[in-house]
Amino acid sequence: MSQTTTATPTSPAPTADGTPRRRARSGSWWQRLGPPAVFLALLLLIVVLQPNFFSGGGIRIVALQATPILLIALGQAIVIGVGSLDLSNAAMGLLAAILTASTLGSLGVVSPVLCVALVTLVGLVNGLVFAYTQVPSFALTLGTLGILQAASLVLSDATTVYVTANADVLAWMFNVALAGLPAAFWMAVVLAAVLWAVLRFTTVGQGMTAVGLNETGAIFSGLRTRWLKVTAFTISGFTAGLAGLTIIAQSGAASSFGLGSDLLLPGIAAAIVGGTAITGGVTNPINVVFGAATIALLPIGAAAVGVPPQAQSLVYGAVIIVAVALTMSRARGAVVK
Amino acid sequence: MTSTQQDPTRTTEAALVLDGIDKRFGQVHAVKDVSLTINRHEVLGLIGENGAGKSTLLKILTGIYQPDAGSIEVNGTQVRFRRPQDSVAAGIGVVHQEQSLLTNLSVAENLAMTASGSRRAGTRLGFYRWGRINADAAATLDRVGASIDPRTIVGDLSFVDRQMVEIARAVQVDEMVGGTPLVILDEPTSVLERNETEILEREIRTLKEIGSVVFVSHRLDEVLRICDRIAVMRHGELVAERRTDEVTEDELFQLMVGRAAQATQRDDRAGGASQTPVVAVQGLTRRGSFEDVSFEVRSGRTVAIVGTMGSGRESVCRALFGAETWDGGTIELEGTSLSAWSTVKAVKAGVAYVPSERRVEGMVGGLSAAANLTLSHPGSTRRGPFLDPRARNRTAATWFERLDVRPSDPSLPLGSFSGGNQQKVVMAKWLMAEELKVLVLDHPLRGLDPGAKEIVNEQIRAACRDGVAVVLLPDTLEEALEMGDDILVMRDGEVTGRFDLSTEAPTSLDLLEKMV
Repeated sequence: MSQTTTATPTSPAPTADGTPRRRARSGSWWQRLGPPAVFLALLLLIVVLQPNFFSGGGIRIVALQATPILLIALGQAIVIGVGSLDLSNAAMGLLAAILTASTLGSLGVVSPVLCVALVTLVGLVNGLVFAYTQVPSFALTLGTLGILQAASLVLSDATTVYVTANADVLAWMFNVALAGLPAAFWMAVVLAAVLWAVLRFTTVGQGMTAVGLNETGAIFSGLRTRWLKVTAFTISGFTAGLAGLTIIAQSGAASSFGLGSDLLLPGIAAAIVGGTAITGGVTNPINVVFGAATIALLPIGAAAVGVPPQAQSLVYGAVIIVAVALTMSRARGAVVK
Repeated sequence: MTSTQQDPTRTTEAALVLDGIDKRFGQVHAVKDVSLTINRHEVLGLIGENGAGKSTLLKILTGIYQPDAGSIEVNGTQVRFRRPQDSVAAGIGVVHQEQSLLTNLSVAENLAMTASGSRRAGTRLGFYRWGRINADAAATLDRVGASIDPRTIVGDLSFVDRQMVEIARAVQVDEMVGGTPLVILDEPTSVLERNETEILEREIRTLKEIGSVVFVSHRLDEVLRICDRIAVMRHGELVAERRTDEVTEDELFQLMVGRAAQATQRDDRAGGASQTPVVAVQGLTRRGSFEDVSFEVRSGRTVAIVGTMGSGRESVCRALFGAETWDGGTIELEGTSLSAWSTVKAVKAGVAYVPSERRVEGMVGGLSAAANLTLSHPGSTRRGPFLDPRARNRTAATWFERLDVRPSDPSLPLGSFSGGNQQKVVMAKWLMAEELKVLVLDHPLRGLDPGAKEIVNEQIRAACRDGVAVVLLPDTLEEALEMGDDILVMRDGEVTGRFDLSTEAPTSLDLLEKMV
């Protein structure tokens, strides 16, 4: 939520003008408890509709599907946190997946490291172009999205690329389970915790939050706002790369139209449902975990109430709009672009 | 339009009667049982410190808030304002503290926008009727005595002219009720220069002829000069009503803050400190905003730069802080010439800037006060890349106590503090830095109540005593004469006058002469 839009120019003492504080409280209430509450409510609904959900290993499947979404969403949440948007990160994930699939056989362990590094670099370039040319992030990353999609299509020869050898370099991520959930999911959760700590306890994290809340104020405080934004986009590239690896680990193959080719909408939806304020400056990576789990649950819930699988995007789209509508602070006379 | 035939001699008839207005926000009793009458053809001054309840009362008058109790009567009819449009319909126009014109449209279009829906609707079948719009705007401007071409784009107008347009727009409400508008001016002068204020004063006298005015201001001298009657609010209560001719500035100050004013005479500073200038500006030029500006600021001294809007002094200050570039000339900081200067480098080098646009530039409202305080110079509140929340809270608590910041909880978002308390935190954010060398203050007292002003001024003096070089853009010439050691006068981007207050004693008039 944005304090700046609610602030009144002549506001008497904060005490005499209850609005800003009241709104701050409702905002943080959603930020802290909203995402887990929504997740639990949806889980409850599904268990009621499909009593055999738990016994059928449903929660494991949800964690499996939530993992790439979560990784994409974490990067997205960080970028949204600095007040921007990265429309290209899902495409980066897919590119990383295709590159890994085609090189894993020949390069072995080096392949995933290289692919993640390459995609992180793409994120870095995104950030640099954004920070120094000041092309609005949605326009820039929309362009990058097109470029990356074309690259994926060309590199994969428009077919599905299969891992030919060394599949076990990555496959263990979903074969090894901890407390019933795949290791890859736990790794993503650990990453979320690390990002949470970065935002809460480091100067870089505080700086990114400041940029998201009020970039001008951050500039006039002497913060390195450009580098903070570059950092956010680089993180987005990095998590997208990891998401690409999980796609390969799951299926052993990737294509520019198959698994992983449609992570953009769920990624944004997970970030938003995870309590990330679309206006910037409010990001809680821990809650993004619940956001991603909710988004992974949705198709199951939707199927349970009879929505056809073809209409999945409809559900994601609707969820984004509803989540944003519910969490925006509708200050009187607020300006929306 | 029957009420246009009102007898102009009935000047004592009440235009607005507030009876027992009461408003609470949760625990906070913002307005306590306020009863107040505003007569026709009267200018009523409304004063009070930040947080005294003035703004809440104004918001009730303009339909933004609804009172918990009490009644409002306009021209003898009981009214209830459920939304802002209701108060407009009752003939109450307001000029907000921050300007709200659309700067990319013409004056006439801005005026037509609020006039729409009335008999003067400037459109036919959705199309603009330019002749009509411009003629109507000219008539309205004429009525408030402003000589502005209605076809001018608002963005090209000077600040004071925009204020005129705002007033003209507010006055338009009277076509709803026919003849006697009540115009509320919420601190209209806090962003104006002294000579511009005089234009506004003339304006208010014109307004008085056609309706009533509620004038909200922090400047007591101005209130005394302009108003017929003054209402004082403190802690949500109406504590006094005085006729202007029976009250002094000192008495008003006491009523307002509940204590006597401290003498704010300049103390004789020993000039102290070293003789090498901390800042040396030489022939600084930026095409279109300032030209060949030179001055020096020594350690422990204050250079006040005065000038009207468009004098370029703001740009010079922003150049010092790295927020604007320059084309020619040099700035030396402790003997080193600056190149590729930026806000990041400026902060690192110990240059601080308190901007006039506090909410936008001076702070990050969504972050806690403590985070804002330590944002630029984390100092001991960071360990490597990590924040140290405990050290930060200790630091914040110290500064909160020193500057009497309220509420006293630094973990609240800074955006929820009142203007005066925000400014204290913004000041503290720079003062806490050990490396502070240069303090650039762009209208540091703008919009503050007298209590907060005293505290901020005291901090500026304390910084000087510690050897900081201060560049000050004051709100008023009196402030320049009180706080400055040297005064630089700028006009149209050039330096037109210099005064060393240790050897000369210029008056406001001397300064004004060089300004216009």
